[in-house]
Amino acid sequence: MTMTVTTPPATGKPSGRLSDRQKDLLQKFAALGSLLVLIVVFSLSSSAFFTVNNGMTIALQVTSIALLGIGATCVIITGGIDLSVGSVLALAGVIAALAVKELGMPVPVAMMIGILTGSLCGVVNGVLVTKMRLPPFIATLGMMLIARGVALQITGARAVSGLGESFGELGNGALFRIVTIGDDGFPNVVFPGIPYPVVLMVVIALAVSLMLNRSVLGRHIYAVGSNAEAARLSGVNVSGVTCFTYILSGSLAGLTGCVLMSRLVTAQPNEGVMYELDAIASAVIGGTSLIGGVGTISGTFIGSFVIGILRNGLNMNGVSAFTQQIIIGLVILLTVWIDQLRNRR
Amino acid sequence: MAYGQAAGDELRAPHDVAPGEPLLALESITKEFPGVKALQGVSFNLRRHEVHAVCGENGAGKSTLMKIISGVFAPTSGRIVYKGEERRFASPLDAEAVGIAIIHQELNLVPHLTVAENIYLAREPRRGFLIDRRKLRADAKACLDRLGVAIDPNRLVRELSVAQCQMVEIAKALSLNAEVLIMDEPTSSLTEQETRLLFKVIHDLKAAGVGIIYISHRLDEMAEIVDRVTVLRDGRYVATDDFAKTTVDEIVARMVGRSLEEKFPERTSTPTNDVILAVNGLTRNGVFADVGFELRRGEILGFAGLMGAGRTEVARAIFGADAIDAGTVTLEGRQLVIRSPRDAIAAGLAYLSEDRKAQGLAVKMPVDANMTLANMDEVSNRFGLIDFARHADAARKYVDLLSIKTPSIKQPVRLLSGGNQQKIIIGKWLFRKSRVLFFDEPTRGIDVGAKFAIYKIMDELAAEGIGVVLISSELPEILGMTDRVCVFHHGRITGVLETARTDQEEIMRYASGYGRPDSRH
Repeated sequence: MTMTVTTPPATGKPSGRLSDRQKDLLQKFAALGSLLVLIVVFSLSSSAFFTVNNGMTIALQVTSIALLGIGATCVIITGGIDLSVGSVLALAGVIAALAVKELGMPVPVAMMIGILTGSLCGVVNGVLVTKMRLPPFIATLGMMLIARGVALQITGARAVSGLGESFGELGNGALFRIVTIGDDGFPNVVFPGIPYPVVLMVVIALAVSLMLNRSVLGRHIYAVGSNAEAARLSGVNVSGVTCFTYILSGSLAGLTGCVLMSRLVTAQPNEGVMYELDAIASAVIGGTSLIGGVGTISGTFIGSFVIGILRNGLNMNGVSAFTQQIIIGLVILLTVWIDQLRNRR
Repeated sequence: MAYGQAAGDELRAPHDVAPGEPLLALESITKEFPGVKALQGVSFNLRRHEVHAVCGENGAGKSTLMKIISGVFAPTSGRIVYKGEERRFASPLDAEAVGIAIIHQELNLVPHLTVAENIYLAREPRRGFLIDRRKLRADAKACLDRLGVAIDPNRLVRELSVAQCQMVEIAKALSLNAEVLIMDEPTSSLTEQETRLLFKVIHDLKAAGVGIIYISHRLDEMAEIVDRVTVLRDGRYVATDDFAKTTVDEIVARMVGRSLEEKFPERTSTPTNDVILAVNGLTRNGVFADVGFELRRGEILGFAGLMGAGRTEVARAIFGADAIDAGTVTLEGRQLVIRSPRDAIAAGLAYLSEDRKAQGLAVKMPVDANMTLANMDEVSNRFGLIDFARHADAARKYVDLLSIKTPSIKQPVRLLSGGNQQKIIIGKWLFRKSRVLFFDEPTRGIDVGAKFAIYKIMDELAAEGIGVVLISSELPEILGMTDRVCVFHHGRITGVLETARTDQEEIMRYASGYGRPDSRH
């Protein structure tokens, strides 16, 4: 083998010359950039894509992924995982619906009970993980089966319908909706408004982002994920912090359940199957590390829009549901691979 | 290039290198990382039948050089000549294939496999499709026998001590017909006796023609085995000497670039009779029993003893990290009830773990976040939101106070040197206004210059009235820094000695359980 020393050997990848901060920005822009590319491509391929109405539709579709993704992000930052959210949202929605239908409770109270059901599942997950020291994967896998089973059992696997119009308000209402009555007597929608679920999603994303970035609790969440033993020896209440993330995830699942069931004005015990995987995928696409210690809400937000827009745009272009799954699977693999490249040193 | 089955068990005959010609030579090696020149024109050579030590402070470029030799990094420029032939390794496998093996400080064995399976991992002898278990065991046993160590090849690696794991790593290197063996801090977690055995093995390997590159901070041990020593400083080559013709002081001076007259700073604090911390009858069943001592204001109290004597365990129990079965802890006259580290921290105790990366730092997080982690209340408002101005002020204050070298307070701590990491942990506890600090092996794996700085900080803390307990396995450190020393043996304190009136021999006597009969226990 002849050898020359004129050219430096290609050991590093191009990003090897960037600082950590630049890499983080790159990751964000990579996700954001792919989001923009998706938007441009779909706008060109379908005239109905880039419209206010479709924008709101996408935002609405994304809410459930984003809300679950926010919870998943917090859990994953501590180094855990929550597989139960898809089932928990079904249980929460079903319980809210039954509270209205069977017990005649007012809708807001019933939905609060639904959300608290989610919180309770989170408490159980947290206790299983911190006190009984079960691996998070196993603890939440158990909860996934149990919550789904309970939801099916108490409804007899039938949808709960006939809930009344007010049950649909949360999922179908909108803020700043402007409707005029035209000359022909038909209502004329000037501005469709911002759907309540979208408002909820934005408010919660901002609140959790504030919590992670600016609060002591958020700092402790990152510390637990970065090194649980060091955090414990620094006086961090590791069990409490870990429990909190599962409770947050469960509560957000409960809320998602109420929103979804409200949109359909029907409670489906089979709703939300595999949603936990969408939630985890959105977090991972957004740069959250499954090892723990790393992750942001803004990243997860972008991640959930990538998934939502892919689905919506592919639908509009007549791509079959099966092909959609293949494409989303590939996107997840690609983004995580990029993340691996970024973290390799 | 794939590495094939080891051809035979005997080492290759050393006829392939002409006498006097080095086995391995590195010529003006330069390695650049983005923004950093880790190595600049470093030359180094290794002969057969030689143990060649590479010394330097942390960050001097030792590990980078070793990674270049073992094929982890490619040099930016420079030549690697091995057995008279220029080589370029694309991966560690390439280097291993030609006979260059490295034994890392953090051992790389699979805990759930047996010793034999680890030695021949990915090179298992086969019979058809299946592993030839009998040959696997026999070959492994032959390797271990050649080292003269009695380890059953069928044992699981997780059941072995660190020293035994090291022997397995060496056996593995031998099975690869390694002719160059790099050992990174091999004695850092070995007992005196285990170190003896390791040195014997090194002697035998040397006699068999292996060239050994030996990296260590323990200069005192080197006299026994090292033939030549190369010193690096700030990524540059300083000098290579015959070990016999130089002195430890000379080596240290070259490492730090100035003459270091003393290893320990002059003690400025004077012990008083004011007891800060009193521990009585502390017991954790099966671990330690009836441990009692008093720590006085202004003094540094040492905990000496062999590995596993219970020093770390006692400190952890006082700190609430492990439960106790009996005993009391009294801080400044107030008896404490400690159920968790949180209680201990609130009371004013601090424990600096011997394992910084695993227990002391959130290594992915930046300097400021680590510094404030134990005292977030001080930098946040009543709604639990962080006040980033105060947060940054606190971090900067202790970075300055402790002279921590970091490009910014936002630097992730994993990118800092061991000494600076240790200082960040000290800063964390100072910011928490801790009253008593337990330093557990605070200078392990830290270079000479930074050690001195840590000692100086300990002395200053004691002078300010903060209680300092120094747990150390290095007797010179105990003798150089403490006022009194509690010697542990088998979970008990066998003697409390005045440092000024004792010596290494007496401490060792108590540490091995042969103290005077009129001692405390």
